[in-house]
Amino acid sequence: MSERTVKIESKVGLHARPAALFVQTAAKAPMDVTVGRPGHDPVNAKSILAVLGLDARHGEEVTLRAEGDGADELLERLQRLLSQPEPESA
Amino acid sequence: MTRVLSPVAGRVVGLAGVPDPVFAQAMVGPGTAVDPDRAPGQAIAPVTGKIVKLHPHAYVVVDAEGHGVLVHLGIDTVQLKGEGFTLLAAEGAEVDAGQPLVSWDPAAIEAGGRSPICAVVALDASAADLAGVLEDGRVHKGTELFTWS
Repeated sequence: MSERTVKIESKVGLHARPAALFVQTAAKAPMDVTVGRPGHDPVNAKSILAVLGLDARHGEEVTLRAEGDGADELLERLQRLLSQPEPESA
Repeated sequence: MTRVLSPVAGRVVGLAGVPDPVFAQAMVGPGTAVDPDRAPGQAIAPVTGKIVKLHPHAYVVVDAEGHGVLVHLGIDTVQLKGEGFTLLAAEGAEVDAGQPLVSWDPAAIEAGGRSPICAVVALDASAADLAGVLEDGRVHKGTELFTWS
């Protein structure tokens, strides 16, 4: 099991635009991937419905988990996405 | 099968008409979009179900089949931090299709330099799951935009 905790740098949090990019990246991976907020059950990182429902805000930390071949590389890519303080109107 | 209703009255422009590539390229999901009439109004629930997320500028309602529909009121409207929007329901509430959820003024959004176009998106769906998707023409609030099976 690979795991890492990442701070969300997107000013709008993990919402429509960053969430879509995040889910699209996760969905390409063959293994299960989850994303969770502290104190909440982790959700399926491949589901845009689940990720929007997670409602992770700017500055909050989330924990990413995946298992299997390529899990570390995948989490690295997802971490990079969440760490981008992309402009609000990219 | 889920019937998805237009949250606003206006002119259908399709997702391709949304001035935001993430919506226009259907990265959030398939669906369509409506350029709303420039008058104060109340955006309604597109389906009967539970409000799983309610922001001033966007909401998600999930129906009994587990189909979640995102309504995004305008582009980059998250930046307004709720100003100009009034919530008429509460997150977690069960609502009927057609029930008013947010009151807002598309003309004011536009006057602030943002597009008031409303994206209506089927979450975790593929384009093949949708049928009868409107891409143009005028709609009333509550007009069926597409079905989802």
